[in-house]
Amino acid sequence: MLTEREIIATLDMLRNENLDVRTVTLGVSLFDCASDDAGRFISNVRSKITRLAENLVDICDEIGLKYGIPVVNKRISISPVAAAAGGFSAEQMVLIAVALDDMAAQLRIDFIGGFGALVEKGMTKGDRALIDSIPEALAKTERICSSINAASTNAGINMDAVALMGRTIKQTAEATSGRDGIGCAKLVVFANIPQDVPFMAGAYLGVGEPDAVINVGVSGPGVVKMAIDRARKADPSLDLGRLSEIIKRTSFKVTRVGELIGRKVADRLGVPFGVVDLSLAPTPNVGDSVGEIFQSLGLKSIGCPGSTAALAMLNDAVKKGGIFASSHVGGLSGAFIPVSEDLNIAEAARTGRLTMEKLEAMTSVCSVGLDMVAIPGDTSAETISGIIADEMAIGVINHKATAARLIPVPGKKAGERAAFGGLLGEATILNIRDDGGSAGFIRLGGRIPAPVHSFRN
Amino acid sequence: MISARKPINNAEFFRMPGDVMKKIVFFVLGPDRPGIIASISRVLFEQGCTLEDVSQTILQGEFISIFIVSIKDSSDGDRLLAALREKLAPLGLVAHMKTMGDYEPSQQSGESFIITTVGPDKPGLIAGMTEILAHHGINITNLKAVSRIEQKPPHYITIYEVDIPKETDFHCFRAALQGRAKELGLDCNMQHREIFEQVNQV
Repeated sequence: MLTEREIIATLDMLRNENLDVRTVTLGVSLFDCASDDAGRFISNVRSKITRLAENLVDICDEIGLKYGIPVVNKRISISPVAAAAGGFSAEQMVLIAVALDDMAAQLRIDFIGGFGALVEKGMTKGDRALIDSIPEALAKTERICSSINAASTNAGINMDAVALMGRTIKQTAEATSGRDGIGCAKLVVFANIPQDVPFMAGAYLGVGEPDAVINVGVSGPGVVKMAIDRARKADPSLDLGRLSEIIKRTSFKVTRVGELIGRKVADRLGVPFGVVDLSLAPTPNVGDSVGEIFQSLGLKSIGCPGSTAALAMLNDAVKKGGIFASSHVGGLSGAFIPVSEDLNIAEAARTGRLTMEKLEAMTSVCSVGLDMVAIPGDTSAETISGIIADEMAIGVINHKATAARLIPVPGKKAGERAAFGGLLGEATILNIRDDGGSAGFIRLGGRIPAPVHSFRN
Repeated sequence: MISARKPINNAEFFRMPGDVMKKIVFFVLGPDRPGIIASISRVLFEQGCTLEDVSQTILQGEFISIFIVSIKDSSDGDRLLAALREKLAPLGLVAHMKTMGDYEPSQQSGESFIITTVGPDKPGLIAGMTEILAHHGINITNLKAVSRIEQKPPHYITIYEVDIPKETDFHCFRAALQGRAKELGLDCNMQHREIFEQVNQV
């Protein structure tokens, strides 16, 4: 039987802390859509996605209303297009992206993710065609996200792919130069990409996944921040051990709600439920910031010394609570620190408290990596590749997912503002060291071997 | 607090073949103190009753409980009530009795929601809100109201557990509920019961 205390505490969380389900993402396998004709392939894809997702938005809204928990974003993740459409040229890949964008608009889906490739050990003809198509594909579409997995703990780092992605990111920025290089906001390079991420831009449906599946991303960081603030107000003597317990308990509750909603949507759609992704994903709204959690934990700003320790504690506590709450946790499941998508982190970047180097250090303990980082438009492709390679190395050595979503903003320099609009937010362009010092290393190419799996010191 | 919503069907164990049973409801009210339930259950046991359902609560020091018992049809209910009153009168408690009819409890198919209202205390809050529930055919299965006197002015929190029939027009009901809450100066929230269970129960 529920007690009045439980009811009132739960209501406080629901009403005052912006508890929601951040994303319900329908995974759709495209492997049975394969064809040697691009038009036929697109037709097969349209038919399948429409059949599975035609009611996705309405069902999410209906269940959100019934349970009083809004589902903020409704998305689709698809099989890596480079594999499902491996026989096509770059030009045909662009046609596929445009068709997918049209499907997303018709279905009122926020984003379709999976216009990507898995190239950690090498590239197929289809992988290369897809990567070559990215600049034009992302310039011609609004709702398509692309992820390239260029490294893994088991394969090492494909430095040829890293070098190629440095150039591709530059070209994508140029192709969307009128909008501060927004194409790059939908392009991410991963190490150890999970197969079931529901969050963009990394969402795709892995090859070991079901034909269709619902994966859920839980509520944002506002809930955690408010829980910390309330606990510290009630007991100012709380230490970090006990605050970690507060975060853990909050994560438990948030995960339970996320899974409940996800399962209801999956039941209604008649597809299996996959995983809950525990990631704390901020938005550019006040009260929905990961950066503010650092302040609630006593730091003046994210980026101050102590930030990496605070992030490590936050990430770990979120995982512990979430994993206890659900047997099916997946995706990235940690804290995101996307610079432009988080008002507080963007402000720390503006004031100089948060630098590229500190961000990189923090990515060794958080769930994604260098995310939504605006850099000067004249940054060389080799320097971008160097940053990506460093980020891949952190993931490969630490057996974790890491990624780089870098936006070289055309025509703008460090300290200027870049605005991407909506959830993608805006940010001050970070200063980075770009003196050509990475070029010699990047040009060597090849594959950095997989690390040893023992002697872990 | 004692509460048992499902029958503890001990009657099945104690019933002899051929016995015809009847159900009786007792209400006991009075000032709370230790030992009340012990006294009542002792009398019921001695009078050959089998306890089926019990619910008990305490409001501002007043003990209130409801017992549903089964006894042999041939037993004398009035004698049972007299025995209870004799035992409870020294404790300042009063007891009432009612024989249950053969009617089946209403089996409304619906889903369980929790409605809460919070706002400054004033007369007519519950009457105003429950009028909307009644109008939409929504049954209240549990109701709790508490004051938060630390707030200025004192706030009144009401928690209604309700069963909403499947055929209810959700949009229409929610709008009516919110409209009435606004008229009464209340902040009203309605959530599915499953949310509370998932969040609070391991």
